[in-house]
Amino acid sequence: MNENGALAGLRVLDLTDLKGHLCARLLADMGADVIKVEPPGGDAARRIGPFVDDRPHRDRSLFFWFYNLNKRSLTLDLNHPEGAALMRRLAEGADVVIESFRPGEMARMGLGWEVLHALNPALGLCSIAPFGQGGPYRSYEADDSVLTALSGMLYVNGFPDAAPVRPFGLQAYHSAAYYAAIATMCALLARDSSGQGQWIDLSMQEATAAAVEHVAPSFFGTGEIERRRGTLHWSRFFRVGRCRDGYVMHCTLGDWTSLVEWVNGDGKARNFGDDLTAPEWEEVGKRRQDAERLFDVLDEWVKDYARDELLERAQLLRLPYASVRNPEDLFGDEQLLARGYFHEVEHPELGRTFRYPGAPYLFTGSPWRVTRRPPLAGEHTGEILGGELGLGADELAALAAEGVI
Amino acid sequence: MAPMALAGVRILDFTWVVAGPVATRILADQGAEVIKVERGDENTMSVLGPRRIGLQGDLHRNKRSAAINMTRPRGIELARRLAAMSDLVMDNFSARVMRMWGLDYASLAKIKPDIISISMSGLGHTGPRSNYVSYGPTLQALAGFTRMMADARGDPVGYGYSYADMAGGYSGALAALIALWHRRRTGRGQFVDLSQFEALASLAGPALLDIAVNGRTQETPAWRSQEGPAAPHGVYRCRPRRSDDDRWIAISVRSQGEWERFARALGNPAWTAEPRFRTLFLRMRSHAELDAEIARWAATVDAEAAMALLQEAGVAAGVALNGADLAADPHLTERGFYAPVKLPDGSSTRVTGVPMRLSATPGSIRSVAPEVGEDNDYILGELLGLSRAERAELIAEGVVWG
Repeated sequence: MNENGALAGLRVLDLTDLKGHLCARLLADMGADVIKVEPPGGDAARRIGPFVDDRPHRDRSLFFWFYNLNKRSLTLDLNHPEGAALMRRLAEGADVVIESFRPGEMARMGLGWEVLHALNPALGLCSIAPFGQGGPYRSYEADDSVLTALSGMLYVNGFPDAAPVRPFGLQAYHSAAYYAAIATMCALLARDSSGQGQWIDLSMQEATAAAVEHVAPSFFGTGEIERRRGTLHWSRFFRVGRCRDGYVMHCTLGDWTSLVEWVNGDGKARNFGDDLTAPEWEEVGKRRQDAERLFDVLDEWVKDYARDELLERAQLLRLPYASVRNPEDLFGDEQLLARGYFHEVEHPELGRTFRYPGAPYLFTGSPWRVTRRPPLAGEHTGEILGGELGLGADELAALAAEGVI
Repeated sequence: MAPMALAGVRILDFTWVVAGPVATRILADQGAEVIKVERGDENTMSVLGPRRIGLQGDLHRNKRSAAINMTRPRGIELARRLAAMSDLVMDNFSARVMRMWGLDYASLAKIKPDIISISMSGLGHTGPRSNYVSYGPTLQALAGFTRMMADARGDPVGYGYSYADMAGGYSGALAALIALWHRRRTGRGQFVDLSQFEALASLAGPALLDIAVNGRTQETPAWRSQEGPAAPHGVYRCRPRRSDDDRWIAISVRSQGEWERFARALGNPAWTAEPRFRTLFLRMRSHAELDAEIARWAATVDAEAAMALLQEAGVAAGVALNGADLAADPHLTERGFYAPVKLPDGSSTRVTGVPMRLSATPGSIRSVAPEVGEDNDYILGELLGLSRAERAELIAEGVVWG
């Protein structure tokens, strides 16, 4: 086991705001040394709630904490010539710079690709922007919800006769961040043979559009425009049903015979003019074509069941049913607890320890791990500029006086 | 021209449905040789549509297909020989399947000591629920995501798509690259136990911390901004386009400056000057009334015109694009995102592009999705060195589908 993590020894400069901060965290979790470069006063994400005990403060934002675990923090005003100069010095010793400024902003600050590449030819630059570095929408404004609209993601959520339902969980940002991390690793692997870094143009719109598996593909494949179908999944094999005490996700892709035997045993296979024991329903195509009628029969069947009882029995029969749970339920989830999913992270400055959600994957040879809690704003400015770049105490004092750090 | 980023990397791919194929597709786009092992007797995934176009066309492009019968000992032997020549083996089964075939990490490491094995099962290889059967939409339900999107009555509505498959696919691809990087530096392979459920749950981060730290029960955010205060922040129905009245624009106004530009873009109608909308705090408090005013305005304008008007003023706004709109979107078109590709029958289709552009080693779409078993000759002949007669015999014996 390589306890330092698979990416130990990599130095990443994270200049992103909330559009890209997950990307650098994914690398930090695996051992990269990620320096979060924040403007003096702290990153804007520090002003986003929720906050610890609902007390807004730049070092109490849970939003910031989640996306910046395992990073160090350096405050530096990149708009100040001295700040940009220090950033160039840091870039000389780094492997990757990740940024999410408006296109052209890095160049304006003297940190454009040509400058960085000339300083350090092995350096990679990953630029994350709502619509990428070029094209007619290049300067358009967007937040996560506008990106979900312009990627085809928003249009297909909810009911056909009502407004589209906003996706939960900043999926445009998350899709872009994952693609950015993947692209960064590809650039690093390519460097092994070329010795050269490269510039990544990551359009969040494209990354989000690629995360909707059916909207564009259906149009290109069959000419069909996918629309909102309520709780029915576009594949038509899943729909939300209501039990006595909660909701379940039906699934008609499992062993059909087992499902029908069960439903029929409960005396519920015949309803609303349909008979699920008829051989035609054994055909997956029939179940797709007449999905709404099928789920109406199944809804009538599940309504007297307790949710968890239904789920346990379904899974014993290897039917891919699931309960529709609240996020709170995850903290008591036997599976997550047995696998050690949650991590206790100590925040000494608050004298408290908090439970964080854990890894997306378990590496057996080089672990995902928590090495440091999210940084206080500028917490590591002294050690990075003083200890690593060798600036003296009076230089640091002068920079602070000028508001550069 | 530099070689592609993953040139020389070979992946033996046992994944199916969506999440696993998304992971290996991302790697194939960057130059990895992905050998998809699949059964040739029935295409269980034909429910996802034809093989070369639409979703399946997107999932399997740039890959090679071998139709090997894994219920036969000789089929398993062929797969093991391919594994010995591969850098990564990827699957999305529960632990039982690969162990049964002798293709679990412990067995693989005996024939290829530095192999990387990534298993992208639904709920992970360990724990009391490791044998749960799941799909993307059921994992979204289990992880709390479906519940966090509600209809007007507050009932769970969830997504129209399978974000869980994407969360699983992206984390699978990233795990593969990180493990490769580690192997190049240490010479050591490893096993990655990827639970798609955990990959998805990790993306609910701030909500989970709010529960853990503040003990707060989560409510659906509906159209409340999930990234800091904004008002207006919503989606508004626009003027019908011909017979299509399902036209919507999403608008997000965050700062006071944006609000002033928003009001000006609309021509400073009287309601924008009302005291109840004066500050962000007040607009958030009166957001229902604010939304009603904007809805009245939006109903009078085309969605595209509204977007152009607001973006011109520096206000975040976007049409809720449908499939046809995406295909015609001027920005995506100029960037060549949905590129046309030629199919073997001479027709052409369009596929989703590579959503990451590397300046020196760009990803590309080099081949359309193969039919099942299309690359048998290359895989069995060129890679494994089997003669034509030997391949014919394997087909006759039912070890390979020809």
